[in-house]
Amino acid sequence: MMQDDTNKVPLFKSWNQWYVFVLVFLVLLIILFSIFTKAFS
Amino acid sequence: MTQIDWIILAVTLTGIIAYGLYKSRTTHNLDGYILANRSLPWGLVLLSIMGTQASAITFLSAPGQAYTDGMRFVQYYFGLPLAMVVICIFFVPIFSKLKVYTAYEYLENRFDGKTRTLTSLLFLLSRGVSTGISVFAPSIILSSLFGWNIYWTNLFMGGLLIIYTLSGGAKAVAYTQRLQLIIIFVGMFLAAYMVVHMLPKDVGFTDALQVSGKLGRLNVITTGFEKGNGFDWGDKYNIWSGIIGGFFLALSYFGTDQSQVGRYLTAKSLTESRVGLLMNGIVKVPMQFAILLIGALVFTFYQFNSAPVFFNESQLVKLENSSYKDSLAVAKNAYDEIAKQKTATVISFTSAQSELQKDDNFNELSKLQYKSDSIRRKIKNWMQTKEVGGDSNDTNYIFLRFVVDNLPVGMVGLLIAIIFLASWGSIAAAINSLASSTMVDFHRRFSKKIITSENEYNLSRWYTLAWGVFCIIVAMYSYNIGNSLIETVNELGSIFYGPILGVFLVAFMFKRINNGSVVFYAAAITQLLIFAIYIPAKLKIIGLGFLWLNPIGAFGVILFSILLNSIMGKKKNPA
Repeated sequence: MMQDDTNKVPLFKSWNQWYVFVLVFLVLLIILFSIFTKAFS
Repeated sequence: MTQIDWIILAVTLTGIIAYGLYKSRTTHNLDGYILANRSLPWGLVLLSIMGTQASAITFLSAPGQAYTDGMRFVQYYFGLPLAMVVICIFFVPIFSKLKVYTAYEYLENRFDGKTRTLTSLLFLLSRGVSTGISVFAPSIILSSLFGWNIYWTNLFMGGLLIIYTLSGGAKAVAYTQRLQLIIIFVGMFLAAYMVVHMLPKDVGFTDALQVSGKLGRLNVITTGFEKGNGFDWGDKYNIWSGIIGGFFLALSYFGTDQSQVGRYLTAKSLTESRVGLLMNGIVKVPMQFAILLIGALVFTFYQFNSAPVFFNESQLVKLENSSYKDSLAVAKNAYDEIAKQKTATVISFTSAQSELQKDDNFNELSKLQYKSDSIRRKIKNWMQTKEVGGDSNDTNYIFLRFVVDNLPVGMVGLLIAIIFLASWGSIAAAINSLASSTMVDFHRRFSKKIITSENEYNLSRWYTLAWGVFCIIVAMYSYNIGNSLIETVNELGSIFYGPILGVFLVAFMFKRINNGSVVFYAAAITQLLIFAIYIPAKLKIIGLGFLWLNPIGAFGVILFSILLNSIMGKKKNPA
C-alpha cells in the first residue's frame, strides 16, 4: 500500500528546488530550440 | 518483409507477451488489478506514464507530421513540464492522502455523487473513443503491408489487444511497458541513424538539417504572428498555444484522466509518484523533439531519393483502378521528373561553396517542392471524389512506407514490432483504466449486490473485455477521420478535458464552493459551450486552434461555478 510521505526529497533539498529545476530546464530547451530554428531556417 | 524480419517481429512480440503473462501473477484482487497494490518505484512509474502516453500513433504519425508540417508540433508539449509541477503540488498529495482508486472518487468526497458521475462519464466517453482510434493505428500497418481488409485487420488487432490486456493488471502493464520502452528507444535511435547513414556519402548530418530547415521542416519555434496580420488564433501549433493550451491539456490529461492517474497511483509512496511525474516533465519534450527530427530527416532523405507520390499504397491502387488511371499516370511521370530535378538541385545545394550559390539552389528547390506538392494535392483531390473514396490523407503512412521500402533486413521487423509494442502498452493501460473507472465509479456505487474482492477482480476483467470490444467498434469507424491520428486524438481530448479539469480546479482552489449542483451545472453548461465553439471552428466558420478549447473549458467551469454559487447562495440567504 502507498506509504506516508516520510521519505526525504531525492537529489534536491526541497520539492520547490525540484520544481524550479524542471521549469528552468524547460526555458533552456525553448531557448535552444529557438537557436536551432534560426540556425536552420 | 523478409523471413528474418518476420522472425524478429514474432520473437519480440511473443517475448513481450510471455513476460507480461509472467508478471501478471499478481494478487487476484481489485487493488492488485487496478493499482498494482501501490508498490512500484518511481522509475517504473515514469516508464508507465511515458508508455501510456506514447502510443503507436506517436511513432507512426509524429514523423509524418514533421514530414508534412515541420517540427512545430513539438510546441504542443511545452505546457507539459508546467503541468507536472502543478500536479505534484496540488493533485498528487490529495489523491495519495485519500487513497482513491480513481480521480473521480475524490469529487464525490468534495462535492457530490452526480459531479463524480458526470466527470467519470466524460472520461469514459473521450478515453473510450480515443483508445479506439489507437487500436486503428497498428491496424493500418497490417492492412498496408499485406493488403488486408482494414475492418478484419481491426478485429484481429483488437482481439490480440484484449487477450494481452486481460492477461494482466496494472503491474503487468507497468513491467511490460518498461521492456517495451527500452526496445522502442533503441529502435528509434537506430532508425534515426539509418536515415542519416542512407544519405549520399558527402552529405552529413548538418547538411541534412540545412536542407530540411531551408524547406521549412525545422520550424520548431513559431510565434503565431508569422502571417503578419496579428496573432493567428486558428494556428494549431505555436509557442503560445503550446505553453497555455498545452498546459491545460496536459494538466487535464495527467491530473484527471484515469489512464494516467492510475499510473502514478501505483507508486509505493507520494515521493515516488512525484519523482516519476517530474522526470516525465524533463524527458518528454526532448523525446518528442527526437521523434519529430526523424520525420524531418526522412523528408531530407526523400529530397535525395524519389518519394512515393502517395504514401498509402492501397489507396493508390484504388486510384489506378478508377477513371483517373490515365491522369494518374501523367501526374506520376511529372512527379518523377520533378524528383530527378530536386535530387540534382539538392546535391548542388549541399556542395555549394558560396552563400549566393546556396541561395540560388534553395530558390530552385523551393519551386520544385511547390510543384511536387501541387501534384500531391491534385492526387488527394481525386481520392476525395465519390468514385475513389477512402482516406486522402497519407500522413500516418509516411514513416511506415519509408521503413518498409528503405531500411535493411531485420530493421523493418524490429520497427514494426516497436509500433505494436507502443500500441499494446498504451492501449492496455487505457483499457485497464476504463475498466477501473467503470468498476469503481459506477458498478460499486450503483450495484446493490455485495460481492467479494475476488468477484470484483473477475468482474473488472469482464469490463476490460467489454471496453476492448467497444474500442474495436470505434476503430472500425476510424478509417476516414481525415487529420493525422495524433492530431485527432489530441483534438478529441481537448473537447472534453477542459470541463473535467475545471471541476478539479474548482475543487482544489475554491474552498468556498461546496454545493455539488453548482459545479455539476457549471460543467454541463461549459461542455455545451465547448461544443458550440468547436463545431463552427471545425467547419472553419471561426478560426480557433483546438488547443485553446482546454483553457476555455477549464475557465468556463470556474466562472460558471462562481456565478451559479453566488446566485444559489443568494437564494439560500436572501439577507
